[in-house]
Amino acid sequence: MEPKAIFDLLVEHLGEGSAEFREHDIEPWACVSAARIADAGTFLRDDPRLEFNQLMCLSGIDWDGLDENGKGKSTAILGYTGDGVPEDSDRIAEGDFGVAYHLYSHTQRHKFTLRVRVKRDVAAVPTVSGVWSTASWHEREAWDLVGIRFADHPDLRRMLLSEDWEGHPLRKDYRMPDQWSGVPLKGQPYSENPFTPDAPAADAPAGDDTPAEG
Amino acid sequence: MTDDVKITNRGWESQDHASEMKSELLELNMGPQHPATHGVLRLLLQTDGEIVYKVTPVVGYLHRCTEKIAEGVDYKQWIVYTDRFDYLAPVTNNHAYVTAVEKLADLAVPERAEHLRIVTAELSRIASHLIALATFGLDMGAWTPLLYCFREREEILNLLERIAGGRMLYNYMVPGGVRYDVPKDNWVADVLEFVTMLENKKLPDYNTLLTYNKIFIERTSDVGIISKETAFDYGCTGPVLRGSGVKFDCRRDDPYSLYDRFDFEIPVGMGEMGTVGDCWDRYIVRVREIEQSCRIIRQALETLPEGPYGTLELKKPVKVPAGAAYSRTEAAKGEMGHYIIADGGAKPFRNKVRSCSFCNLQVVEKVGVGLMVSDLVALVGSLDIVLGEIDR
Amino acid sequence: MSPTTPNPPEGYDVSRENMLDFKVDDQLLEVVETDAKNFILTTVDEVFNWARLSSIWPVTFGLACCAIEMMATSATRYDIDRFGAGAFRATPRQADLMIVSGTVTAKMAKRLKLIYDQMPEPKWVIAMGSCAIGGGPYFKYGYHVVKGVDFIVPVDVYVPGCPPRPEVLLEGLMRLQDKIRGRKGKFRAPKWVTDYAKKIPYRK
Repeated sequence: MEPKAIFDLLVEHLGEGSAEFREHDIEPWACVSAARIADAGTFLRDDPRLEFNQLMCLSGIDWDGLDENGKGKSTAILGYTGDGVPEDSDRIAEGDFGVAYHLYSHTQRHKFTLRVRVKRDVAAVPTVSGVWSTASWHEREAWDLVGIRFADHPDLRRMLLSEDWEGHPLRKDYRMPDQWSGVPLKGQPYSENPFTPDAPAADAPAGDDTPAEG
Repeated sequence: MTDDVKITNRGWESQDHASEMKSELLELNMGPQHPATHGVLRLLLQTDGEIVYKVTPVVGYLHRCTEKIAEGVDYKQWIVYTDRFDYLAPVTNNHAYVTAVEKLADLAVPERAEHLRIVTAELSRIASHLIALATFGLDMGAWTPLLYCFREREEILNLLERIAGGRMLYNYMVPGGVRYDVPKDNWVADVLEFVTMLENKKLPDYNTLLTYNKIFIERTSDVGIISKETAFDYGCTGPVLRGSGVKFDCRRDDPYSLYDRFDFEIPVGMGEMGTVGDCWDRYIVRVREIEQSCRIIRQALETLPEGPYGTLELKKPVKVPAGAAYSRTEAAKGEMGHYIIADGGAKPFRNKVRSCSFCNLQVVEKVGVGLMVSDLVALVGSLDIVLGEIDR
Repeated sequence: MSPTTPNPPEGYDVSRENMLDFKVDDQLLEVVETDAKNFILTTVDEVFNWARLSSIWPVTFGLACCAIEMMATSATRYDIDRFGAGAFRATPRQADLMIVSGTVTAKMAKRLKLIYDQMPEPKWVIAMGSCAIGGGPYFKYGYHVVKGVDFIVPVDVYVPGCPPRPEVLLEGLMRLQDKIRGRKGKFRAPKWVTDYAKKIPYRK
């Protein structure tokens, strides 16, 4: 079934005005209001004409600097400098958060893309882990890395990072940490590196610098 | 006297005794440094004796920030990192990523490049499946298959090294083609010879050694059964889904590259040794996929067209217009998806990687319950996870 | 031998003894011949070190991509057992070598330290691959990657590569054996390698 036809069925279920269709993109997608996403997911899974029984992918997005069509200008992210020191900046990211759902039906063999968008200060979307079990881990990952809360999620812990990790790394204004819980995450300054090209060449005469030990 | 016998006979099954006896669940920590967890996976088990009552996978011990890096480097520089997701089959990962970029940038790929991509990706898939057989055998207590499988894997690595230049991680594909053409030293004939040897001599060897070994069958059949509905619900793909009897393969059902031109079959689990969807089914699907990959390689090499092997200059950055696309390919472990959001600049705005092992592993939360601890090892081994892909 | 590995040109001596500043076995034993019987003079240290270097037991500690190369080193073609280091132990309490094979992340670093502390003395560490040496390709944006395992545990031998070939890991193992033997001296690359290296232009 074509994406437009799927969308028409979806709008019929959700009611006019609760979803919009974007056809001009490389992949057509439907924008659903965040509050209705679990409802939309249940409908898409259970309707015999659609039968989206697999959630292929769930992505959390920080739409900093880009509008909902993906147009705009993004700012470079922060990293470590060559000496291993975290770069610093005063910039605070603005813009919304988004979640994209990619669905596939193994029986009808068609695909569909849903997107929701929430305000940055809200940053909460209803969970779809009751609809597709695989969403549970994807949502935990999105909470961990992007910092989108999924309301009513049964077990919303961090997925990849530790529970006491500060910040959400995939936000566009995330600053690299110095250390975490005693583990240094900074790099070694270049000048202190004994393996630079300025160090004595490999064919230098043998010295006694290798300690003799048992 | 008779009274005494009565009392002892009541024993364990007596309601009164069971209520008097206090039993509690044992918390068992498995990993992250454990020989049977295929890397740095940690499983938190609650066991009742030998029976697993609850299993909670803890991942993230190999989280290498790759999605953050994607936002900091340009499209071509990031191909290096795709190699390191599923480091057992790096070329299939390259394929997944360049397919997504080409879909966004609307790049055409020459036919010769597509053929070379398919050949290298299938060789890589064979290498990955060989490791899967080897480590699964190792988990089940069979050391010898590992030596045999690594012997053939070294041959594949040699072939790939001759065309791509690296031993294990290749960085072989670029958007719009591949990095190197076929080497001039009889490479095609060598690949064909290897493929024939693998099909005719080596696979029967593995089957004798491991597949139809009585002990192996006893350990793996009827263990860790994943039903079709569970597989859909948990987003399982690849050999795990096909082991549950679902005839689905991205290469045929959602074709990318030139896979729709080649003639191959999709092996599915049929419950030959037990129930459909048990560990043995997932294992045998991999063995039969090796045969099918050999068929694809032979066809792709016999019809290898002349012409250029790339359209873009290697040093020029690839230009991607603003937009978003999700593209999926069939990697060795399942469906590898890339969701790339481009803002028209040199770097992607967001690159979400949908990795196969991440979804496949999740199923142990459901299927692992009620297994014995040793059978849980069989289940995790049969899922064939790679932690570089789960944690990214 | 892989076809892409450069072969040493004619006229160069590539024997292993020529790469080292010391002869391999001259200091270990001194066989004294007498009229009656041969007997051996040595020190306890020499014998202990010889025993240690001849049967290094690594702990099974695979982290990432390099772990596959470590497996390949222990498997069919490369067979690390030839150097006495093939007995991979599943528990650190029986091991005396830790091959840190892969990226060390913040979460794993604590575990790694724990495993290192559990190993009995004497113990050695090989940092395998550029991630374990200094963060490797994950240096710039790796918020979760430790930039070198030597921030966590002391390292004896660095084995570069991404991932290193099994031959390089075996060479690193032999360097470690030299270190355990307690010889002074420094590895000297063979002349054909240094000649070749001089031709590579370095970018500052």
